[in-house]
Amino acid sequence: MKLTLHIWRQKDANDKGILETHIADDVSEDMSFLEMLDVLNEDLILQDKEPVTFDHDCREGICGTCSLTINGRPHGHEKATTTCQLHMRKFTDGEEIFIEPFRAKAFPVIKDLVVDRSPFERIMQAGGFISIHTGAAQDANALPISKINAELAMDAAACIGCGACVAACPNGAAMLFVSAKVSQFALLPQGQPERQKRALAMVNKMDAEGFGACTNHYECEASCPKEVSVRFIAKLNREFLGASLFEH
Amino acid sequence: MGLFSYLKSTILSKIVMAGTGVILVLFVFGHMVGNLQILIGREVFNTYAHFLQSLGELLWLVRIFLFICLILHIITAIRLYFLNKSTKPAKYQVKAYVRSTLSSRTMIYGGIAIFLFLVYHLLHFTAGVADSSIYGHVERYGPLGIFERQDAYYMVIAGFRSVPVSLIYIVGVIFLAMHLNHSVQSMFQTLSIAGPRLTPVIVRFSRIFAFIVATGYILMPLTIMLGIVGGGL
Repeated sequence: MKLTLHIWRQKDANDKGILETHIADDVSEDMSFLEMLDVLNEDLILQDKEPVTFDHDCREGICGTCSLTINGRPHGHEKATTTCQLHMRKFTDGEEIFIEPFRAKAFPVIKDLVVDRSPFERIMQAGGFISIHTGAAQDANALPISKINAELAMDAAACIGCGACVAACPNGAAMLFVSAKVSQFALLPQGQPERQKRALAMVNKMDAEGFGACTNHYECEASCPKEVSVRFIAKLNREFLGASLFEH
Repeated sequence: MGLFSYLKSTILSKIVMAGTGVILVLFVFGHMVGNLQILIGREVFNTYAHFLQSLGELLWLVRIFLFICLILHIITAIRLYFLNKSTKPAKYQVKAYVRSTLSSRTMIYGGIAIFLFLVYHLLHFTAGVADSSIYGHVERYGPLGIFERQDAYYMVIAGFRSVPVSLIYIVGVIFLAMHLNHSVQSMFQTLSIAGPRLTPVIVRFSRIFAFIVATGYILMPLTIMLGIVGGGL
């Protein structure tokens, strides 16, 4: 396959940045998107040019490290797929591909396609945990949880914290991420003691980090590689309102 | 805690948008159903208008309540618009929208258009400033015409006889319907009435509701402008 790649190049957060065009001549359709960039980078290194910087880690679609906005869609056009699991056979020979970073004020560009997603870590530090000892594996098995709640909690816990929701949202809102994290605890008995405190702390931290407000475009759900549902945002609204009224 | 401290919170702001939205949507629907009585005739419509006027203080309480909801809705919308604009300082060179709609992306512009239309509408029919020739007419009714009441029927018919005025109303209503198309389902989601089976029904309801409101409101200026309703005034 031969592809024309328009890749965002930016030296650091203060640099203006520009789209740079590269031709990838010999792309195998069995490559993943990141492998295609690896090959491009090897060529760039051989030509004594600066390779393209991008984030990646497990390359198995579970760690949430890879990012990239491909042709205007975080993680590309394929449904429920991270960039590392997106394969070149999903593109056509001769296609032009625009590769940009995840864009949001809260996610400043560090270099090229790498953005600083540490606001997510700080939101987790504000309340995305359980302070009590919940026991070992057998204690979890001994605790009866209704099937519907167990499954909903798992659906929420599927969030890998990649930030695609923020990148896709026209408002730069992090509601899908925060709602998944608040919901996974709110649905399980272990999460009950700190339920209201957690909802307040995580949402307030989200606001303080400069994320936007949800206007229910649902672009986040469409881009989420783990298909986290916007129904959790509806749940977050309820959790937060309840906590605001009753927790002081 | 100041009155407007909720504006600092994204979620509380959303909830205020949705809560005031519920009130405004109910008003829009009630206002439409009430005014559609003009299609029946002068007697029915003037009786209805007279009934509203006779409410006195109650009518003013409702008006003040609606006004407060509207102001909160607008202030919160402006605050959220600037907040949400600030979160994306660098724009995508290429952006593909998947789930958002034209109406969801134009809420603020539609809102501004509806507000301007609302100001005109109030000056036109409520205050009678925009066209004073249609305002203040009196209808005599009852046996031998011994009672008097405001001829609201004449006001509306004469008002909508003007083609430019009717066109302004039709355009205003189209903006309102586009706004409702997104906002009715959005309101349910924000107020946490959502679920895998419920949400698709609500989204469909939202579309149908917007369509009904558009049809109901356009029917009045359209039929009057064309002389189908109120032909002889």
